[in-house]
Amino acid sequence: MGRFSDLFGNSANAQATARAAEWETALGRNDLPGFVKERLRETAEKRRPWVSTSAPGSLLAQRLRGVRPVGMVSGNCWFHYGYSWTEGHYQGWKTAIERLWQEAVLMGANAVVDVTMRIRRMPGPENIEHMDYGVVGTAVRLDGLPESINPAVATVSALEFLRLLEAGIVPVGVAIGAQYDWLTLGTGLNMNMAPFGMNAPGMGMGNMGANGPMGVGSWWNQEWVALSKLAERVRRQAIGQMRDDGLRIGSGVLGQTQHSELLNFPADQENPYPRFLMRHIAIGTAILHDGRAVKPLGVVPVINAGNDGRLIPRNKSKGVI
Amino acid sequence: MTDALEGLPQHAIERLKGLRDTSRRGGIFTSDFSVNEFLMVGEAGFEPLGLVVGSCIYHTGIQYAAWAKNQEMSVLSQAMYEARELAMTRMEEEAQALLADGVVGVRLEVKRMDWDKDILEFLAIGTAIAHRQGHPGFKGVNGKPFTSDLSGQDLWMLLQSGYRPLAMVMGSCVYHVAHQGVFRSLGNIGRNVEIPQFTQAMYDARELAMERMQHEAQEAAAEGVVGVQLHEGSHNWQPHVIEFFAIGTAVKAIEDAAIIPEKMTPQIVIPVND
Repeated sequence: MGRFSDLFGNSANAQATARAAEWETALGRNDLPGFVKERLRETAEKRRPWVSTSAPGSLLAQRLRGVRPVGMVSGNCWFHYGYSWTEGHYQGWKTAIERLWQEAVLMGANAVVDVTMRIRRMPGPENIEHMDYGVVGTAVRLDGLPESINPAVATVSALEFLRLLEAGIVPVGVAIGAQYDWLTLGTGLNMNMAPFGMNAPGMGMGNMGANGPMGVGSWWNQEWVALSKLAERVRRQAIGQMRDDGLRIGSGVLGQTQHSELLNFPADQENPYPRFLMRHIAIGTAILHDGRAVKPLGVVPVINAGNDGRLIPRNKSKGVI
Repeated sequence: MTDALEGLPQHAIERLKGLRDTSRRGGIFTSDFSVNEFLMVGEAGFEPLGLVVGSCIYHTGIQYAAWAKNQEMSVLSQAMYEARELAMTRMEEEAQALLADGVVGVRLEVKRMDWDKDILEFLAIGTAIAHRQGHPGFKGVNGKPFTSDLSGQDLWMLLQSGYRPLAMVMGSCVYHVAHQGVFRSLGNIGRNVEIPQFTQAMYDARELAMERMQHEAQEAAAEGVVGVQLHEGSHNWQPHVIEFFAIGTAVKAIEDAAIIPEKMTPQIVIPVND
């Protein structure tokens, strides 16, 4: 079994039970179990090796700029969405990030960089109503700064974090906007959407999804105004929410991810009319900056030997310094 | 060649002999380096010796988890550890036989077989390298070749920052996530709520994997672990069973002043098309 057989000893069962009980109590109190705290503390005090998600080049750049890796921190939240899948995203991510932040506080970190966000689902149709929101990142200390009680959480890589700091910008957290809305056909509220009177029930609505706004037999180009309005409203609300979220912690939001879906539900026993569901989720990195004090970057052109002189493609840019 | 040859099949020994001696006829190195990687390994003062491999086809034992209980599947955790360790050790033996100082670009792959869900193949493959001047200060744990999943470019960068690789370190935890009871599921209908039982399972499994990886690094007397990745996978297992796998390269500051590179200050480049 090699060097680590001690991890799978006979007393494993008793230990596992005690461990599970500690987890339950701790998470119930928004806390972490004693053994996790101990590991984080020992890592922060250099009694255990530091751990970093960064590649060597990034580490060198960090060290030269007074940034030191402490350890990896993480958080997750498995969330059941009863009334709203979309709002579940907001709540799930927020809780997971809060837990990662809590680990960073225990390590006395000034910031958490390279935070990756990942969802997990369980297979099977019985599991479609819940999923896990997980975040993992590297806690870092900045030379010359005392231990922080409120570390900044940044989804940007360590190198991008350094670049922002050099430009006088501090990434401070994650801003999220998640909104949804329904549009039910045939309620009389959406008359402007169906020029052929298709808002009346029983007019071939089952074909709507496949055949576009006019269904079978439409002859001319026309905007589906009600759906456009729905999409626009939901997107604007989500972006507005991300803005409000960002405003609480920073002065701007940088792009991270935008996700939207427009789903079509045919009529069924409970819902006599077809319905549309529009969702939009926007996630970004909140930054603190002073727009009046922008420093010039001093751009120096270089050619990357890796790809025949073309500009560096997006998927290869990681770790290039 | 050393005692490391014991246990290696004859054809492997023949291949390795042909690889190590590039000065004689028929001597040649093999690698899976890209052009840049090859150049940067040279820049770091090393030369490639040969591709080294280790594999292990493993039958995982059976363990049943209690339906409604969060628990580590220790039989599977142990299997995943042991099989990876066997593949890695076999690859290391080849590197030792080549009198290598280390192996870079190690990839550790797990393949499942369509014909039997309990059988997994573990493959460790990388390029063995040796210091051109034969400096002994780059060896890994207990004088064995170091192992690292870093590329040739990353090796150069790591040495530039005053660190050297020691060993690939990993932590694995296979975990069974409890099923929700019917009553509990019913209680959640229509509500947006956390499922603490599931959250806890993910937390614990991840913590165990990271803790074990860090423990390996500590055993190797490392100062830190770079390039850590956290993988998740379910290798043909029943639903609700998931593996968390943490992997990275344990590093240590270069002790011998003679091989510490001159301090360099890299410039950060911002690609303009991103």
